[in-house]
Amino acid sequence: MNQEVELIEAFQQQAQRRKDRREFFKAFALTAVAGGGLAMATSVQRAAAQATLTDGDVLNFALNLEYLEAQFYAYAANGVGLSADLLSGSGKIGAAVGARQATFKDPAVAAYAQEIAADERAHVAFLRSAIGATAVGQPQIDIGVSPTSAFSNAARAAGLIGAGESFDPYASDENFLLGAFIFEDVGVTAYKGASPLITNKVFLEAAAGILAVEAYHAALVRTTLDAKGIAAPSLVDATEAISNARDSLDGASDDDQGIRAIGTSSNIAPLDANGLAYSRSTGQVLNIVYLNKAAVTAGGFFPNGVNGTIVTSAAN
Amino acid sequence: MNHDIVLQVLDACDARRAERRAFMKNAGFAVAGATMLAACSSNDDGPGSMITPTPTPTPTPSPSGALSDQDVLNFALNLEYLEAQFYSFAANGVSLPASLLSGTGQAGAPSGARQVTFKDDAVARYAREIAGDEQAHVAFLRSALGSVAVAQPNLDLSADVNGAFSTAARAAGLVGANQAFDPYASDENFLLAAFIFEDVGVSAYKGASPLITNKTYLEAAAGILAAEAYHAGLIRTTLYRKGLTTPSLIDATEAISNARDSLDGSSDLDQGIRPIGTATNIVPTDSNGVAFSRSAGQVLNIAYLNKASVDRGGFFPTGVNGTIKLSAAS
Repeated sequence: MNQEVELIEAFQQQAQRRKDRREFFKAFALTAVAGGGLAMATSVQRAAAQATLTDGDVLNFALNLEYLEAQFYAYAANGVGLSADLLSGSGKIGAAVGARQATFKDPAVAAYAQEIAADERAHVAFLRSAIGATAVGQPQIDIGVSPTSAFSNAARAAGLIGAGESFDPYASDENFLLGAFIFEDVGVTAYKGASPLITNKVFLEAAAGILAVEAYHAALVRTTLDAKGIAAPSLVDATEAISNARDSLDGASDDDQGIRAIGTSSNIAPLDANGLAYSRSTGQVLNIVYLNKAAVTAGGFFPNGVNGTIVTSAAN
Repeated sequence: MNHDIVLQVLDACDARRAERRAFMKNAGFAVAGATMLAACSSNDDGPGSMITPTPTPTPTPSPSGALSDQDVLNFALNLEYLEAQFYSFAANGVSLPASLLSGTGQAGAPSGARQVTFKDDAVARYAREIAGDEQAHVAFLRSALGSVAVAQPNLDLSADVNGAFSTAARAAGLVGANQAFDPYASDENFLLAAFIFEDVGVSAYKGASPLITNKTYLEAAAGILAAEAYHAGLIRTTLYRKGLTTPSLIDATEAISNARDSLDGSSDLDQGIRPIGTATNIVPTDSNGVAFSRSAGQVLNIAYLNKASVDRGGFFPTGVNGTIKLSAAS
């Protein structure tokens, strides 16, 4: 309840902040480039703050996110979750609850869902292999459709549904695409933000490969929403609202964009003024998946929190 | 001529391609099972004590030891010049401003590009978006590199029968002998030309990621990698959607993918957009769900349209600027 009020308040504040986004970023980016030292200092500070993290910690953090994505797509595309052999590991083991197969009308969207489901499942398997014996198990995951579910709370924070209403990402092509939209760009920013934390070059290159795949997925979802949005403009509005809701959770920096065209250009790729994708810290990523802008250890899509050593969202 | 070589290896590639999925599956698991597990399995004392594994040399022939971050970023800058000029002309009919083209090395010019007359307004919007992003990449890399940034080399972007686009399209079987491929003639041709570049950019940045030592540059490069993957996803999704009513477009992506694969060595690093079973194939990945890597030499095989070790050709008729300029002997 409090969480929901917080979300809506933050969302309203965000609307004002968002107006200045492009200008702010342009100015910031130019400063950062002109003073190379500034960019370095920022990076060093962040590295120092997280110096105690091992590659295993970072990859396990990513594994939690992949469980979430993989289960959502597995159910939506095929009606079944990941097999049990892909879910074991250290930490508090949970279940993915509330999901079901989506009702697709557009065969292309159904085929996209199949593809993404297979990729995300492969990411889970790959990360579990890479991490080995210390891989975390799947935590409890809320991908249900009740009025108090994570999807509904996220959609309500974005103003897509009213009080007491549900958002069902499995009900239609459009809802599935919006459900996917909630996750996909976050995955990109998470892997980009984690890239300087990974010390082993083999892991780094693999993580870069997963980053790329998440960006392909995000583009697939955004392009499809853009195409459908020509006939159904409310879809474009919805992406802006979800983007604003995400931005309201993860601190003062604007690191998120919907798909509304900017001038005569589309906005499929959410980038800063330098043409770079955004980064989110692990804490900022947890703000979004916990649906909470405070420093907490559970909530939203992970009702019991994530497993591993990186479990606390940022205080924003 | 280059395209004769390309045509020869394309034939050889067809047979290889049939085994692609099975091969990649095995190779992928071998890597994951051996390298990754070897790196991690000695850790039984909890996550805090994870031993940093010794980096395993990548299978690609990158001369990584001698390369500085500047060498790598300048290599990327050459590719960004190519992409940025192509999209700038195609979307807006103009070159990048002169202020974004100067630098060290042999300064050249783009030749033969022009504005596309788009019919589908969505494709026009996409072209303008990508043009803006690629120009931003050029500006960003030049700023990051400062006074050591390389200049724009000569770029062949022409629709001429002997141009790089026509040579590439001929290698893919899209046009016959003495026929030209004009990337500016239609929405579809523009998308296919964009397809020729986009996945290569992704594999180039991924392959370069372990070569970059400075963390700030690394994170920036990861951001450009993501942008290239967004672009590639945009182009592939749009081609797929148009391919539902024009299946030849999907065939064309497979042919271009095969042509690229025929240039860069025996490993299969490339996929068209033909669906696999009931799933689409918008995202080109190995069996681990991971995007492919190309070494700098492999990227130059494609940009030079030559599987041999050479220092120029194709889209860069006088070569790229900087210290990384040789394609791989593939």
